Amino acid sequence: MFENFFKAEISGEVMSSVIVMMIIAVLAIIIGIQAHFQDPLKKPKGLLLIAEIGVKFFDGFVEGLAGTRIPGFGGVVMCLAVYLFIAFIFGLTGLPSPVTYMAVPLSLGLIALICIHATSVKFTKWKYFKRYVDPFPVFLPINLLSMWAPALSLTLRLFGNAVAGMTLMSLLYAVLKGIGPAFTIEALNKTATVHLGYFITPLVTPVLHAYFDLFSGLIQTTVFISLVTILVGQEIPEEE
Amino acid sequence: MPELKYIAAAIAILAVMPSAIFEGVIAAHTVDGISRNPEAYSKLRTTMILGCALTETTAIYSLLVAILILFVG
Repeated sequence: MFENFFKAEISGEVMSSVIVMMIIAVLAIIIGIQAHFQDPLKKPKGLLLIAEIGVKFFDGFVEGLAGTRIPGFGGVVMCLAVYLFIAFIFGLTGLPSPVTYMAVPLSLGLIALICIHATSVKFTKWKYFKRYVDPFPVFLPINLLSMWAPALSLTLRLFGNAVAGMTLMSLLYAVLKGIGPAFTIEALNKTATVHLGYFITPLVTPVLHAYFDLFSGLIQTTVFISLVTILVGQEIPEEE
Repeated sequence: MPELKYIAAAIAILAVMPSAIFEGVIAAHTVDGISRNPEAYSKLRTTMILGCALTETTAIYSLLVAILILFVG
């Protein structure tokens, strides 16, 4: 089964995405087993404590932005946030970051779009189709086009940020590599030309990696889940 | 003339200019708000980061167009 999987022409980013999903699945299974055997009267500790704090935080986050009428949406938001953050910082391992491949942000955008429309169907039932002929039936083509706007904007925001960071980092590596006087090293009957920049690069780049991968990833995750929650919250009608 | 595409990318990236200016405006107004009402610091910070990210979107689009012109087109 797995021979064909590795022979097939799948791009590295999709492979990294699968690895990220595996990491999250293993974490989820461990936390699930811990939660199963946990005595509810005792204080949780370790991974379970972190997971409980996270669940509480995301439930409060959804309640603050979209109200209390969509219970369980905090789980969706937490899943998206954990995947997105780990995918952003996965570039630090040296493997390609999944977010720099257009298909991965596009899938996240489509998930957001499905959440928005499912919420609308849940709360307005058959009146859902009214949104396509609002305010006149003449607007049908425009409404059909503008339906895709949230997914497209979420996708391009994530993809653009990730690609911008990656491009800047690769430009910086290319520039720093050639800095300074070159000298040759002879060892094991081989000669290699080495620039001084080879030794400067590891001192400079970690700071920028911290900014472009960690900080940018954190900000983009926050913005993405805030936008998804606000867009879903817009579809909930006022309470009677 | 394939060299023209570098000029095209340079023109496309010009759209980041107003985005940068108005991100500064957002930060300035947030500082104003915090100095008037220091208790609202945490709320204002979250809103500022969200606003900055939304303002950045146009800049990101122009950056994407520039990258597409340079490496794909």
